[in-house]
Amino acid sequence: MTQENELITLDPRGGSMHENTGIAQRPGTLDGLVIGLLSNNKPNSELLLRDVANLVKKQYAVKDVVEANKGSHRIPAPAEMIAELADQCDVVIAATAE
Amino acid sequence: MNGLTSSRTRHSSYEDAQEYYMSDGMGDGLPVVPPTESMVQAMLDYAGLAPSDIIAEEGVRGVSFTAEKVAINAVMAGCKPEYMPVIVAAVLAVSERPFNFHANSTSTNGVSVLVIVSGDIAKQIGINSSTVAMGHGFRANATIGRAMGLIKINVYGSVPHGMDKSTFGHPGKYSFCFAESDDVIPWEPLRVEKGFKESDSTVTVFAANSPVQVNTQNESAPEDFLSIAADASIVLGERHSEFVLALSPELMNYIRTAGWTKQRIKEFMLERGTRTGRELNEKHRRITLYTGDDLDRRIPVVSSTDEITVVGAGGDAGPFAMLIGAWGDVISITKEIRT
Repeated sequence: MTQENELITLDPRGGSMHENTGIAQRPGTLDGLVIGLLSNNKPNSELLLRDVANLVKKQYAVKDVVEANKGSHRIPAPAEMIAELADQCDVVIAATAE
Repeated sequence: MNGLTSSRTRHSSYEDAQEYYMSDGMGDGLPVVPPTESMVQAMLDYAGLAPSDIIAEEGVRGVSFTAEKVAINAVMAGCKPEYMPVIVAAVLAVSERPFNFHANSTSTNGVSVLVIVSGDIAKQIGINSSTVAMGHGFRANATIGRAMGLIKINVYGSVPHGMDKSTFGHPGKYSFCFAESDDVIPWEPLRVEKGFKESDSTVTVFAANSPVQVNTQNESAPEDFLSIAADASIVLGERHSEFVLALSPELMNYIRTAGWTKQRIKEFMLERGTRTGRELNEKHRRITLYTGDDLDRRIPVVSSTDEITVVGAGGDAGPFAMLIGAWGDVISITKEIRT
């Protein structure tokens, strides 16, 4: 039974079907690891990433640095690029800049 | 059991229901029509949809637009059931990958979903294409546009101060829907240009920045008033993906008299709405966008005539054009409205 003036309404909200995967496990050190730099192609983003990589290299004996550029900040990185970075790198740093 | 699976909330009064939908980022700030089961069911029945039917899935965020959620938001927006097929087509359109819904629902650029309807359905359900076409006063325009805004907030999760990071936003984020006026255009309508039949009805969605009205100063030669519009297009900024140029019936009359085609208008806008790379560099102190041969090249607002949509709409009186820039890396999408 509903009382006078009582209303029952429906929830309009949806949600993502993606599973929350959480944050990847962090390595204890960057020594001996391959670092990936993923630019979103905003002006100066590669400059910023290279500066960060240089700072990292001063503190750790990084094995190698791999650069990638996803072409636009407005679109996700292509799946092949993600797979390639995952295959080549132990850690990937993403950044934006202007 | 009607198959509606959304959670229910019991409200002791109409006023309580309003307060509920004003909370938790569940709306656009305006009062809503409380979505009762019977109203949502009527919306689904009109479109021949079951609550669990999936109208579209958007890949980046992984959001499934079920018929039930779309119908609930359409009720909240104030839609009549006969508007539902337009909303279904618009949801299909925004979910296409090239529309880039995730990015344009989150960007500081602050765009809205602009819905342009072309075809007989506009007159059948009362979508205004004439006086005040982009403004207020017509339920179909107001509520179809609003439904798309509410779907973006509630189903997609683009909540202001949450996922929606618009620096400013613009009034079209409340609602932005109008119809092309077949009565004033001297050429093929938008739906035919997009590959559909004259007898079809379609929606075309744009990730729209705020509209810019252009006063063409009562010029009657197309090259004169379109020059003014092309100058104005420069304020949209270079590197746009698309823009819409809506021309009033008065301007359409001049176009018809002069015998200009739609393609000629697009070519004129593309060629005139330009600055050199050097001029554009002068506006940027921190970055150099153009070098080498591009310094003297004239850079257009968009890169080809395919990225300019010309429509006829608006009231009979007034030499006005309306420019609407679309956010970058977005391609407008056209879908047939199935009734």
